[in-house]
Amino acid sequence: MGTIVTIDVYVDAGMPVDRLAAHVGRARSALHRADDVFSTWKADSPMSRLRRGEATVGQMPPEVAVVLDACRAARVLSDGWFDPWALPGGVDPTGYVKGWAAERALDALRMPDVAAAVVNAAGDIASFGGPAPGAPFRFAVVDPFDRTRLACVVEHTGALATSGTYERGQHLFDPRSRRATLAVASATVTGPELGMADALATALAVGGQDVLERIDALDGFEALVIGHDGARRSTSGFPWAPESVPSTVDPAA
Amino acid sequence: MRRAVLVIGATVVGLVGVLSFHTTPAKLTLGSLSAGTASRPATTTTPASASPPTTGPPPPTPTTAPATQGTTTASPPTTAAPPTTATPTTTTTAPSSTRSATGPSVDYNFGLISVTATVSGTKLTNVSIASLDDGGSPRSQSIDQQSIPILEQQALQAQSGNIQGVSGASYTSSGFQQSLQAALSQLGFK
Repeated sequence: MGTIVTIDVYVDAGMPVDRLAAHVGRARSALHRADDVFSTWKADSPMSRLRRGEATVGQMPPEVAVVLDACRAARVLSDGWFDPWALPGGVDPTGYVKGWAAERALDALRMPDVAAAVVNAAGDIASFGGPAPGAPFRFAVVDPFDRTRLACVVEHTGALATSGTYERGQHLFDPRSRRATLAVASATVTGPELGMADALATALAVGGQDVLERIDALDGFEALVIGHDGARRSTSGFPWAPESVPSTVDPAA
Repeated sequence: MRRAVLVIGATVVGLVGVLSFHTTPAKLTLGSLSAGTASRPATTTTPASASPPTTGPPPPTPTTAPATQGTTTASPPTTAAPPTTATPTTTTTAPSSTRSATGPSVDYNFGLISVTATVSGTKLTNVSIASLDDGGSPRSQSIDQQSIPILEQQALQAQSGNIQGVSGASYTSSGFQQSLQAALSQLGFK
């Protein structure tokens, strides 16, 4: 395994290399720390020990309780479609942690001499600032049917998460059918924070329309689903880039 | 804009961080690897089983448009690692036991890639693309040397104007991972 993370920092061209390296180093440390604590691939990680019942949450680093509490909130918001406790093998917050870890890395970059930054953790993106003053970031969503192509472009600074057919692992588990099934080909969520966006995208991938409606009612989060038939449905405020806005309006109106 | 590429949680590479700057010639500053318990072998061996590259529909040739942010310059190739696909290579230069190995050519979703790792002592000093075959003309590391392992992101980003990232491409570069892990194994790193 191994998650590829890219970190883009927008800084003055004159920033000394060692200062830049220090910024990125802190972000990198945050990611490694999260991996050390939460990786279910590492037999001795606190999360692995928790899953095996060898330790309690009280004996864990404090961020474990923080993450599990956030997962409870995500479970409520998604009406149970995101449920780390329903996964075989014990509680598995991976669907939240990837985004949470990226946010911790992003936080390490919130320095006065960093104008903007993007942390892209294997396609889940957290950002602040923009590519130029006054401009939001533009991110594309990959086409779930042809992964060499783009489905659309969004304009959004903040969190952007996508779940779908290209995802591996049992965190795309439908807690209701008790199977790994996908209601859609691709589920994308935008919002202010990537841990929650990640969890909601996971929920949306298995819950489909039910979760889409819940996100529509949720302040600050927007969503897009691409069905197995290619049909697209989105929340009313989904931040399409101008070139991607679906043309559903009657031009004669 | 400066970009750093990290690999988190990989069994082999562990705490490797790759720092690469678009606006300077390719310069990689990397942390130390855990050398595990393997002693440095004097010779390297071909990986026992390289998974054969899968064949599928020929992928489209991605455009090699440079990143749109800031100024980017393609750096001249700094090493002459041969663009072989399946044969690992070792180069030992001078006293400080700098060694390189190239992993097998592996499918990375847009084509085939093989990765070269260079170590000096216990330090990983360079990771580069030995060969890249994406359905266009096979090429070597000189094109993408600074920008690994975001090949899929690059190819996708280049398809639309002024895109700073792609979401949903999570199945990224496992081919790169595999080839890199094989190269590191050859060098004695677990």
